[in-house]
Amino acid sequence: MDAAGGEQLSLAAVRDALVRLEDSVVFALLERARHPRNAPAYAPGCGGGRSLAEFFVREAEALNAKASFFHSIHASLLRLAPEISLTITIQEDVPFFPQDLPSPLFPTKSPPKVLHPLASMVTVNDAIWKMYFDELLPLLTVDGDDGNYAETVALDFACLQVMSRRIHIGKYVAEVKFKDAPQDYSPLIQAKDSNSLMDLLTFKAVEEKVKKRVEKKARTFGQNVNLEDNAGKQEGTAGDSECKVDPTVLSKLYDQWVMPLTKDVEVEYLLRRLD
Amino acid sequence: MAARAIYTVLVCAAALLLALASPSAGLSLDTVREFLTREEDTIVFSLIERARYPLNRPAYDPIHLGDGDGAGPGRRLNASFAELFIRESEAVQSKAGRYQSLQEIPFFAYRVPFTLAPPFNFTRELYPAAAFVNLNDAIWSMYFNELLPVLANNGDDGNYAVTVDSDLACLQVLSRRINYGRYVAEVKFRGDQQTYTSLIKAKDRDALMKLLTSEAQEDVVKRRVEKKAIVFGQSITSDGPIETSVSNSSQANFKVDPSVVYKLYDQWVIPLTKQVEVEYLLHRLD
Repeated sequence: MDAAGGEQLSLAAVRDALVRLEDSVVFALLERARHPRNAPAYAPGCGGGRSLAEFFVREAEALNAKASFFHSIHASLLRLAPEISLTITIQEDVPFFPQDLPSPLFPTKSPPKVLHPLASMVTVNDAIWKMYFDELLPLLTVDGDDGNYAETVALDFACLQVMSRRIHIGKYVAEVKFKDAPQDYSPLIQAKDSNSLMDLLTFKAVEEKVKKRVEKKARTFGQNVNLEDNAGKQEGTAGDSECKVDPTVLSKLYDQWVMPLTKDVEVEYLLRRLD
Repeated sequence: MAARAIYTVLVCAAALLLALASPSAGLSLDTVREFLTREEDTIVFSLIERARYPLNRPAYDPIHLGDGDGAGPGRRLNASFAELFIRESEAVQSKAGRYQSLQEIPFFAYRVPFTLAPPFNFTRELYPAAAFVNLNDAIWSMYFNELLPVLANNGDDGNYAVTVDSDLACLQVLSRRINYGRYVAEVKFRGDQQTYTSLIKAKDRDALMKLLTSEAQEDVVKRRVEKKAIVFGQSITSDGPIETSVSNSSQANFKVDPSVVYKLYDQWVIPLTKQVEVEYLLHRLD
């Protein structure tokens, strides 16, 4: 038990959360890849206004905020049912457009406080947004336009959300690592030495493993399954051309953006950890 | 005289061309099958995502505001959190233009005076008088009363918004797949207008259902979607093997029970789709 009387956060639990999210990331991207680029969804609206994508994300986030707010009121009125477990939920829902959301934003329930209070200030969503629309979509989707803009931006939001969740779990990663070896991290934090912190947080072997696993998932979930395949078919014999999305695109996504951005979150979190 | 004959021939030729040029060159038995096959993946993915969360029953109970124990009478809304959230979500999607193409039909009706979506020229493939046919009420009921209890584990983690969000994804794809029966029926009708016309005029539901049913085809679909549940639902580790078949699978490790997915298609998806097909056809000559 930690000082707050809650459960201890473990590296295993955090790694578990990251692995589960991998599947969700792969699913979300495969679903988006079902539609072509659909560029008009990202063009400025009438009179140079917001794109459909931006409109949708703002509205969806406002709805989620209303839902959380509603739930906190509702839950407190019900005097939180005893069977709701108060184990640690490793989940970070960081909005892309925080400024217009109803405030204050109550949590859906009172979770054990495992993160430093300043954790809520850490966000890399601007970078994720830019990365997704400018770099990832051109690689992920074919040129073309099927007119299904609303469905497209809904799928975009799903991708953005799940990637943002994955990347901001970096806060929990950093907390666990800090608790494990505060003597290693504290001097670097006090010196505000981002580079050395980044070095300390990086484990190339683990990253390679993640990359390979993501590629394997992309190949497995992206294949065209039919009844003629026999049991003897091994992984890798499904030609990449039979996959809905080039698996190397997805492993590249993890390598170039998801993992580095997660580490950025870890560093940003740690820099505030002693405040 | 000759000029008049030529004129007549030209007019007839033009009329013939117009009649032959179908409003949608894109709709065929192949494209329909392709669409339905790809939908299977989406359905399996969305069920896997929903199965990540426990049942979270309070999200589906009618909402009580206030507890009526002396502070005043409790007020009960006739809607659950799920219904409210889904209504609001659909309203946003509606504003974004989601229901314009008629391929998707919302669960709740909206008055949307305008849409923010960029304009797009959708080919109208469905017969207008029959395009409204849908089984959304049955799908809603089936999903919450029959499917969810066997899909999700008992429990409550309090994360109702993400849970209902994933419910909506399931509902949307199931609705789209089942109501696609309209397109299936349209293609079949065009392929054999004479036979279908006489059955439709006789309002012979049973005969229509029989004509639309291919048990061999349905068996292939059910087994394939079960296999997809196994392949997509397996836990993939860096060094472990990949499941590729039904026979050597151990169900304990799967994120969604493949037999639930098989049953879903067997008892609901396929029968409901055929119901849509029959209803659509019964309006095809209106």
